[in-house]
Amino acid sequence: MDQKTRDELLKLFQGKLNEAMKFYLETCTRCGVCTEACHVYASMGQIKYIAAYRHEIVRRIYKKYFKGRGKIWPSVGEARELSEMALEELYEAAYSCTGCRRCMVYCPFGIDTQMIMSIAKLLLIGAHTEPEILTLLADTSVEKGKSLELFKEGFLTGIKNLEKEVVKKWKIEAGETAIPVDVDGADLLYVALAGAHSIVPAAAIFNAAGENWTLSFFEAVNFGAFVGDPTKTKLILDRIVKEAKRLKVKEVCICECGTAFRVMKQLSGKQPFEVSSITEVHSRYLREGRIKVDKSKFKEPITYHDPCQIARNGGVIDEPRYILNRLSDDFREMSPEPKYNWCCGGGGGLVALGEDNLDFRMKSAKVKADQVQETGAKILTTACENCHTQLSDLNSHYEMGVEVKFLSSMVADALMQ
Amino acid sequence: MEIVYYIILIPMVYVAFAVFFVGTGVRLVKLFREPRNPTTLQIFPDKRPRWMWALHDTFLLPTVRRHNPIFWVFLMLFHISFLLLIIGHLELIGDFRIFQIVQHEVFLGNGFVGLILSISLLFFLFRRFASPNRDLSVPEDYYLLILLFLTVFFGSQMDWARRWYDYGNLSVVEYREYLSSLLYLKPHLSPDLTSSGHSFMLVLHVFFANLFLMFFPFSQIMHSFLSLPMNKLRRG
Repeated sequence: MDQKTRDELLKLFQGKLNEAMKFYLETCTRCGVCTEACHVYASMGQIKYIAAYRHEIVRRIYKKYFKGRGKIWPSVGEARELSEMALEELYEAAYSCTGCRRCMVYCPFGIDTQMIMSIAKLLLIGAHTEPEILTLLADTSVEKGKSLELFKEGFLTGIKNLEKEVVKKWKIEAGETAIPVDVDGADLLYVALAGAHSIVPAAAIFNAAGENWTLSFFEAVNFGAFVGDPTKTKLILDRIVKEAKRLKVKEVCICECGTAFRVMKQLSGKQPFEVSSITEVHSRYLREGRIKVDKSKFKEPITYHDPCQIARNGGVIDEPRYILNRLSDDFREMSPEPKYNWCCGGGGGLVALGEDNLDFRMKSAKVKADQVQETGAKILTTACENCHTQLSDLNSHYEMGVEVKFLSSMVADALMQ
Repeated sequence: MEIVYYIILIPMVYVAFAVFFVGTGVRLVKLFREPRNPTTLQIFPDKRPRWMWALHDTFLLPTVRRHNPIFWVFLMLFHISFLLLIIGHLELIGDFRIFQIVQHEVFLGNGFVGLILSISLLFFLFRRFASPNRDLSVPEDYYLLILLFLTVFFGSQMDWARRWYDYGNLSVVEYREYLSSLLYLKPHLSPDLTSSGHSFMLVLHVFFANLFLMFFPFSQIMHSFLSLPMNKLRRG
């Protein structure tokens, strides 16, 4: 690696060093309490997957270039030069970490591995060694936002075609629109993913609840966050914020996508609207009696996978349980405490990498498959697209014999007219 | 030899304390002046009051208790003993009525504070010899534990000598005289202090303590100050 490249990468590193990041980089005593926390280590047993080991990959570079000791006495902290080999290690550490933050629950100081891995991801972007597919997806997303007019007509035609599906689930009055779009003054802006599965059930439930809602032109998913590019993350986020402000909505409801929810909830700053996950909205409708569900619809035992970014990192824990207890008399918890629930193994952009890392995703999430099977449930539900894909792959790979369902689809299927 | 004793017991002590206070102060000011993270780093479920839970996490180490109970026992023993050790050293400077709420002889703990610390430090050290902690550890982790062990061990020897071996040549009076002279910037070494049979214990104790104090601001032992704000970040 030439000096110019190294200097540029170190500038990127420097840019990440805020108060919290320095706390995390300065304090770890390598006590090893986090050893059992990572699902990858618990499934595969390799030291390199222990949270503290991942931290050290980044910390060694930090010590070398940002600490006096790294210059005077580098061997004492094993300070390490930023080289091609270091980049390979950074890749291995960052793209085997799903950013689930389960290790944070174990660490006596609460060191955030996801945050430390964000340095690794940014350095990989700077060195153009990040997974290309993630950057491509992020760029496409950004481009789509820039040239909305080009996509608008195709989008509206596609939505029109879905309306029949929505009406099949919930009949609406003549003259009403099954999927309203671009409604100025709507109470709620729903931000979905591309695909009927994210729009149809949600639309039916909004209509059933009599919600004054509108569908966003934009996709919720934030590939900028997956690849760890703060600029693209902000660009993708801002277009939804702008749309919400333009339509003067009171609430932005994010579909079943953990990263999209967390980014919107925690990164959008103070805005004139509330941010909710679709699970929170459905739970609210049930509590307020705005929708009713048929408990006899699902007769088999159900278990729920808490998406890390929605539950442990987003605080939506009670709501899915409230919904599930209204849907079934046989809801079975996976973990005595949701904050200890194992990650599915698909977060942090890993699912988006597709077949390339399927083998790793399956091996690294064995503990998740075991956890699901121990419940004896026949229906496995979740509220995140990534988790759904990963759990479906695990279901096939480990022959778990469960049906993987979106929670919102279950609510829509059980709606009582 | 006298000159070595003098350097360790007087100028080096001043240098060590200067490095410790200035280094720690500067590092803390620099850290807390860094920009805050733009998003919350909280882990849910939310529990309130958050400050109380952050204090609970910092001082009772519930995550360690849950995941590694044996390690937790040693950690608690170590940290409580360390606190008693600091009180013990303050009492070697002068009388503090508040510490005598529970009546005791100076140095407090009847020698057991040092013993518990020594055993705990050996435990912390030896657990790093086994995988996976061995693979996670870096040299400074060993150096610090060895340094701290040597400091505690030679310090405890002076206490044990008086308490357990009836070796009373060096008493609290001599230590108080020495420490007070340092504190009031009128350093003085009495011949009793430097010519006693186990003066070398004192010299070694002070030497390793000096090294430890000088290393403190630049090491992960800064967690003494950072653990609470970090736990507060986790609690939101």
